[in-house]
Amino acid sequence: MSTEQLPDVPPVAALDELAVERAAATGAPAATGIPGRERGERIRTAIAYIVMFSVAALFFIPFLWSVSTSFRTIQDTVGGFSLLPKHWTLSGYHDALHTFNFGRYTLNSLIIALAITISNLFLASLGGYAFARLKFPGREVLFLLVLGTLMIPDQLRLVPIYLMLVNWIPGWVGHLGWHDASFINRNGVILIQLVSAASLFLMRQYFLTIPRDLEEAAKLDGAGYFKTYRKVMLPLAGPALAAVGILQFQGAWNGLFWPAILLQDKNQYTIPIGIANFRFAYQTLWPPLMAASVLAILPILLIFIVFQRYFVAGVAASGVKG
Amino acid sequence: MAVAVGKQRQARGLGNERLREALVGYGFIALPMAFFILFFLVPIGYAFYISRYNWQIFKGPYVGWGNYRQLYHDTVFWHHAVRNTLVYTAFVVPLQITLGLALAVVVNQAIRFRTFFRAAFYFPSLAASAAIAAIATYILASDGLFNTVLGHLGYHHNTAWFGEQSTALPSIIGLNAWTTSGTMMLFYLAALQAIPTDVYEAAAIDGAGAWRTFWKVTFPLLKPAHFFVLVVSIIGAMQMFDQAFLIGGASGGPNYSTMTVVLYLYNQSIKNISFGYGAAIGVVLFVFIFTVTVIQRLLFGKPEVA
Repeated sequence: MSTEQLPDVPPVAALDELAVERAAATGAPAATGIPGRERGERIRTAIAYIVMFSVAALFFIPFLWSVSTSFRTIQDTVGGFSLLPKHWTLSGYHDALHTFNFGRYTLNSLIIALAITISNLFLASLGGYAFARLKFPGREVLFLLVLGTLMIPDQLRLVPIYLMLVNWIPGWVGHLGWHDASFINRNGVILIQLVSAASLFLMRQYFLTIPRDLEEAAKLDGAGYFKTYRKVMLPLAGPALAAVGILQFQGAWNGLFWPAILLQDKNQYTIPIGIANFRFAYQTLWPPLMAASVLAILPILLIFIVFQRYFVAGVAASGVKG
Repeated sequence: MAVAVGKQRQARGLGNERLREALVGYGFIALPMAFFILFFLVPIGYAFYISRYNWQIFKGPYVGWGNYRQLYHDTVFWHHAVRNTLVYTAFVVPLQITLGLALAVVVNQAIRFRTFFRAAFYFPSLAASAAIAAIATYILASDGLFNTVLGHLGYHHNTAWFGEQSTALPSIIGLNAWTTSGTMMLFYLAALQAIPTDVYEAAAIDGAGAWRTFWKVTFPLLKPAHFFVLVVSIIGAMQMFDQAFLIGGASGGPNYSTMTVVLYLYNQSIKNISFGYGAAIGVVLFVFIFTVTVIQRLLFGKPEVA
């Protein structure tokens, strides 16, 4: 089926690269080898290096500065300027984690991000497999509908989803025996992000690149569809699962919009909401605020360093965050 | 005869198999589809429905186009939220696209540490907006790093850049141009790598310099990428919420200088509990974004994604 009928269908080049297990988007060397050009080439390269190192430094300075401040005492953040803390201390982290409750917020962020990630992995791979491999009437239309949801902005959904979570969903789950449930909290944040069109799209595209022979073999062995999905397709979809998992974890971990709307109990705050609140309550207590910011950034940085290429593929497939 | 029966049986077997496959298919997509319908399709209609009521905590009387009429006369909405959003979009879009393209071109050169640089440039796009906003507030505080550096260069300031009406929005523009340029870089990088190298070889044989090659060869060949990046960038800018919320608070301070359309929508529905009015703002924003997408498609033609 053609996915070009819709605007804003994400580029899938990086995805194809994942399929052949190559680092996504490796740089193509510029054409060289023309006699007499080496000197100019070398100067150009030197300039490129200088520009890149300075820009990279500019990009990193804010982060390094926040790390430096997170190890300072409060007195050390006012007056006299120094690159490194005058007295290294962990009190910024201690205060952030205990006094300002960021230990709790970290746990909350982790719960929300993990729940959303796991659910996306399962639902998107199952649906992606069906859309890629199983034949059923209306498949193309339904898939277009899934892609169409990418065009619906969250802002339009804010009020209706809020009211649905207040008025409809608790009634429905009440019928299922879960009485007095509330969804203006962590449950709501997770519920409305159980699966995303970007995840499903990514999984489907990846399954399309897997040769059919293996499934045929499984079929001859008498394996059913679910078994084929679980035993044959999932193990082959590692790179796509990684891309979906990382993308969703990062999105949920950093998420601000839905948590800002739905989290009202302080004990359920995530790190970003905690930071937003802290900013207005304690303006200039910089060391704990910077410690909280480092806490928010560090896990994503680590995941990024280890799984860089999956990030590239995932972002290429999902568009840009606001 | 026997052959015919066999064929018939085979056909029926296939029919059953096909039915089974379809049923399994529906079963596998049932949960995701239910989710997309409930949380994406239903809200479109429901938003419009809500917007026709005076809806506070509970559904109130039907007001027809009343909320839209009120929005039409709402000066905070037009003079601050819409104006700021347009100013923000007009500045941040060219900035982040130019920066993204420049970074992509540089990072696409055959040089050492390419992976490191790409990671370095991309990382601000990945970090939590709340953390970035906190760091930026710290650096741009009246006695922050930025003013200290400016002081050493001879420009003495004690402006709290996010705290003053005249500098708050421009500071957010600068901040977001920085954080989003990495994502734009990635999009351009994918497109740059799709350009075959023989095009450059031909340009080199013709004696075209790097600058000329870029403007005459690379830039026009990136047209589909320009379109894609422009759409993504404009739509993203019109939905700006995080930094306004984090830096200016729900009221978009100081004095509405960081109030954006989406922040106003949040403010009206969640803080003021005017759901009908909030829904109307959401519908208007949706129509607006949709129109921009359509206009851009008409201007640039079909996007050919990499």
